[in-house]
Amino acid sequence: MAIFTATNPFMSLTDSVEDDFELSTVCHRPESMDKLEEQTKFTKKELQVLYRGFKNECPSGVVNEENFKHIYSQFFPQGDSSMYAHFLFEAFDTNKNGSVSFEDFVFGLSIILRGTINDRLNWAFNLYDLNKDGCITKEEMLDIMKSIYDMMGKYTYPTMMDDAPREHVESFFQKMDQNRDGVVTIDEFIDSCKKDENIMQSMQLFDNVI
Amino acid sequence: MAAGVAAWLPFARAAAIGWMPVASTPMPIPPQDKRKAQDGFIILNVSGTKFQTWRTTLERYPDTLLGSTERDFFFHEETSEYFFDRDPDIFRHILNFYRTGKLHYPRQECISAYDEELAFFGIIPEIIGDCCYEEYKDRRRENAERLQDDEEMDMNNDVAPLNLTFREYLWRAFENPHTSTLALVFYYVTGFFIAISVMANVVETVPCGTLPNRSKEVSCGDRYALAFFCLDTACVMIFTVEYLLRLIAAPSRCKFMKSVMSVIDVVAIMPYYIGLVMTDNDQVSGAFVTLRVFRVFRIFKFSRHSAGLRILGYTLKSCASELGFLLFSLTMAIIIFATVMFYAEKGSTATKFTSIPAAFWYTIVTMTTLGYGDMVPKTIVGKVFGSICSLSGVLVIALPVPVIVSNFSRIYHQSQRAEKRRAQRASKEAGKALVGKSASPPFESQHHHLLHCLEKTTNHEFVDEQTFQANCMEISVVNKSGSRTSSLSSSPHGLSSCCSRRHRKKSSFSLPSTNNQELSTIQIRERPVSNSRSSLNAKLDETVPLKCDEAYISPSMVRLSAPVATSSDDASTATTTYSQSNIVRVSAL
Repeated sequence: MAIFTATNPFMSLTDSVEDDFELSTVCHRPESMDKLEEQTKFTKKELQVLYRGFKNECPSGVVNEENFKHIYSQFFPQGDSSMYAHFLFEAFDTNKNGSVSFEDFVFGLSIILRGTINDRLNWAFNLYDLNKDGCITKEEMLDIMKSIYDMMGKYTYPTMMDDAPREHVESFFQKMDQNRDGVVTIDEFIDSCKKDENIMQSMQLFDNVI
Repeated sequence: MAAGVAAWLPFARAAAIGWMPVASTPMPIPPQDKRKAQDGFIILNVSGTKFQTWRTTLERYPDTLLGSTERDFFFHEETSEYFFDRDPDIFRHILNFYRTGKLHYPRQECISAYDEELAFFGIIPEIIGDCCYEEYKDRRRENAERLQDDEEMDMNNDVAPLNLTFREYLWRAFENPHTSTLALVFYYVTGFFIAISVMANVVETVPCGTLPNRSKEVSCGDRYALAFFCLDTACVMIFTVEYLLRLIAAPSRCKFMKSVMSVIDVVAIMPYYIGLVMTDNDQVSGAFVTLRVFRVFRIFKFSRHSAGLRILGYTLKSCASELGFLLFSLTMAIIIFATVMFYAEKGSTATKFTSIPAAFWYTIVTMTTLGYGDMVPKTIVGKVFGSICSLSGVLVIALPVPVIVSNFSRIYHQSQRAEKRRAQRASKEAGKALVGKSASPPFESQHHHLLHCLEKTTNHEFVDEQTFQANCMEISVVNKSGSRTSSLSSSPHGLSSCCSRRHRKKSSFSLPSTNNQELSTIQIRERPVSNSRSSLNAKLDETVPLKCDEAYISPSMVRLSAPVATSSDDASTATTTYSQSNIVRVSAL
């Protein structure tokens, strides 16, 4: 009889609760600490510290893009860091499966914090090269620049002009594009960065992050 | 800033690699960090409470945290134990799971805390034993409903953004009348008119004495026809205007027109318009009278004004299956008993039970224990079955009613809870403001440095809203100003002008922190962040605890005394050239 099995309006609520239930049990376990120690330049203690923090925030063991953006946005309350967080996420997620596991996280950090200058510049180039075709075009750089400027937010001194990112991109290409062909290749990038004292000086920033 | 986010600080600082190559100036120097077991027993130290178990016990479930190599991340060399900074009371249940294979849910624990612990240790809640599963599910459902309520409340109580369009403003005024006085007035006025209209409908039919040249009593409606017509017109006009305004303001017109309230509104005002259109045609006057009945539906418009009425409606809607069951079982019983009574009474003379449908009336009246007495069985068989009918009626009706009542009670309590939480929210927020969010000083200084790096990359600085507005307004003054130092000395009292404020902000970069100490007692507002950044750049030892969320506010008046002097004093420190270059660059912008 239809009446006995009539759907309860509340049924949909419990269903959705149960659906959420299923999804939240996805769990990822990282490689053993020994393997990670071999593959990265971190010591066991450092890996422990990193993992504890990571596991506390993401008990499921992976970070998806939403979480990533949320975490990053807490460091930049005044602006909109979602676009830059998106680019970072793409750069960290090396196997392109939509989530950053602890291994991805640690490999990325190992390169940035403990890698050679070349490694770091390579990583930065990889971050800028959005379509991973080996060269940075002005459009890609403009997207990156806009995302960085977005993080500043509205309330800045001096007032943010709309073409500030574009001008910055122009000056960047002035400096980096040595053969003036409109794109910056990896060699031009590394070469120009090594010649720039400011950038080399800034690289020491990463020496004591952990 | 949440303490948990501090764990991500190394990542955020590493992410600054993306800014390095595009920055045209070197990054500021980071703050220095002051700081730096086969089968045997495994000791698990959970926040000081030591648990001990065999290694093999834990390895029974290799796809959880404790059973896999993941626990190595928590191994503490010095004491050779595994340290977890979690709740020991809940951990007890988790460890019991490894020992007995059954996971239990303690009734007194909070459901979300328990869920977090399970998620941390990689245990899926499905394996909770049958003894505790029901309780767990119920608590989880309640929690989910509470979260939904909170979300809805958040949506309703959003602080109005300044740039609401007129339409959005109107809709908000209609949906939440307590947001503005005008809306509240409108709310009460419509309520009043609904009441007037309903009472007029009622009073209309009361007999009002006789007219002089007639012997029949006339109703008040006929006697004062014009007055009632005017009253009706006024009410309908108000309702029409209200409906049209709601229609205009609705964000989704189709959805609005399909909603129950709008249907009630339309049904309430339609009879009047149809009555206007139709003339005193005899054919349609019967239908016209029927239409007047619909005027009573105006009373349902009160459901906008009364939450209790809405709850009742919602309960009935949600108990649809129980009500359906009640209806079905009653119908079944009515048909059975009516048939029996008809055939039982068929023999007796002048019986009222002329047909089975006629017997329906008797059955209904008897089963609901009304007993009007207009239809009564006369034969003995009829009386026997009549009494069985009335006894079973009591039972059949009594069964589904408690279910409906409990549903109503649950929904009612839920809405009470929502009201209570709304009231508690204010005190909760006040409490939060008092406690504040204090992060550790090293974290704050590093976070601060990160923001400074971003500023360097983009050649812009963070300012607070007030300064930004002031800057926008006085941008022309900035363009006119010449060398900054001269205007500083020439305007000791120009403290209110934003130029001098900005000058002081720039020069603050070169101030050592000793000035900060004096200033901290005289400051107009809270400690300005720009001060502390300068103190970091000057590489002084005190890391002043900052609130990063505070605005970057201009320093106070006292600073004016010797800004130029101190910048020359700083010539010896390494940061001078840096800060000088700051000043130079700023004036170029």
